[in-house]
Formats: sequence, C-alpha cells, structure tokens
Amino acid sequence: MTSQPDPAGCSVNESRVGEVSVVAVAGTVDMLTAPQLEEAINSAAKSSPSAIVVDMSAVEFLASAGMGVLVAAHEQLGDAARFAVVADGPATSRPLKLVGIAEVVDLFATLDEALAALKT
Amino acid sequence: MTDVGQSAQFTKDVRAAPEDAAQIRREFSSWLSTHFTLDPTKASDVVLAVNEALANAAEFAYVNAPAPGLMHVRADYDGDASVLTVTISDDGAWRISETDHKNPARGRGIPLMRALTDHAVIDSNQAGTEVRLQWRHIDQDCGSRTT
Repeated sequence: MTSQPDPAGCSVNESRVGEVSVVAVAGTVDMLTAPQLEEAINSAAKSSPSAIVVDMSAVEFLASAGMGVLVAAHEQLGDAARFAVVADGPATSRPLKLVGIAEVVDLFATLDEALAALKT
Repeated sequence: MTDVGQSAQFTKDVRAAPEDAAQIRREFSSWLSTHFTLDPTKASDVVLAVNEALANAAEFAYVNAPAPGLMHVRADYDGDASVLTVTISDDGAWRISETDHKNPARGRGIPLMRALTDHAVIDSNQAGTEVRLQWRHIDQDCGSRTT
C-alpha cells in the first residue's frame, strides 16, 4: 500500500554533489513547515560543505515564513559556505523576486545552473 | 446570472492559529479555482497574499491574549466590475509596527501583500485589524455553477 504525500506538508532531502550540499524541498513551505527547512539547512551546514543549494523546484507553495528561512540561512552561513536557491515559476521565484530576495540570495532557475555557477 | 453572487461567496471564521490558517488557505485555493478562471500566476498571487494576511493574524493578533481569538475571512466578487476582494480581519491587537522587523529574515508579509495585489489596505484600531486585498480583471468560471 503506497501512502500519498501530504499536500499540506513539506519533505526535505539532503544529498551531496561533490563539495556542495543540495537540500531538496518539496511541497508546502509555510509558517508550519518552514522550521523543517531551517533544520535541514542547519544539518547540511554541519558537514562543512563548500556550498549549500536549496532546491525548491518541487515546492508548490512558498510563504514569507519560508523566504525568511532562506535569508536567515544565507546570513548565518556568512563566509563559511556559499548559498544558492533554485526556484522557478509563479509560486516560488516570482514572489522571491517581487520582495527583493533575489538581490540578497543567489537565485537560479535550475539545479544545473546553480551547480555550474558554484564551480566558478 | 442572478445567483452568481451567492455561489461565489467564501466566508470563514476560525481560530487565529497557524494550522487553521493553512486549512483556510487550502479551502480558499480550492474555492478560487472552482469559481474563477485564473492564470497560474494570478492564482498563485491571490493565494499567497491571502496566506500572508492569515499568517499575520495567526502570529500577531492575539499574542498577548491567553488564547487565540478568531480571524474572519470573506471573499466578495463584484461581477460587474470583475473585482475580487478578500477581507481578513481579527479582533486582536497587532499593528503594522509589530511586523516591522529589524531582522532582515522577517517581515516580508506586508510587502508581499502589496506586491501581489492590485490594492491592499491594512486598517488597525483598538478593536482589531482588517486587511482588504483586491484584484481587478478577475473572470468567473461560468461553467462551474451548479444551479
């Protein structure tokens, strides 16, 4: 019996691409689920990657609570690791750009573009 | 066309708490897609703006109260003007200044509401706060009426 993913929830998965930690998020990132994202980023940082990429390609809803996690993570990482976000579409990259977060955090439309940029 | 006003109505009164806010957001999103023909960008903008108003009420309206009070959501559609107005109100005590964070990681709800709507008004007084969000050029989905 397969269980349906909870549409209200958020699933987070961390993986490594060389020295880069990719935190892939899916589903809903709102005031209820944003702490999960925050925890995943903190956990990824512990392994001292050269960069952390938050891949939100599979995020269907992103609230300001989630956006705040991205900005906070970028600040907290400081010089310890580079930080980038992958987002595309009306639910994610559009609001991120509208409130100017794309000027604070590096934003890419695809994971490939983010990884390529982080190699330079 | 006379029953349009009745079918395109959304009214909810719930506890001003995060779980209720998320539930209302989902119900509102479903109502929106049932009654209106919106492109994906507009649909996303409307739901996100409403979410931010709900989130502010849930987080701030009753922060100094022993238990959360209510928040009220009402969506009204003016078919003649093709204008959708969503009103989110509470009877609590938050003010814009309370969401005006010095912390750069916080405080984007209100800028988002303004950026995602054609018109946004936040009205706060001793009795509570009312957020009115408005969008123009909203077309209803005539095919979905059941009566």
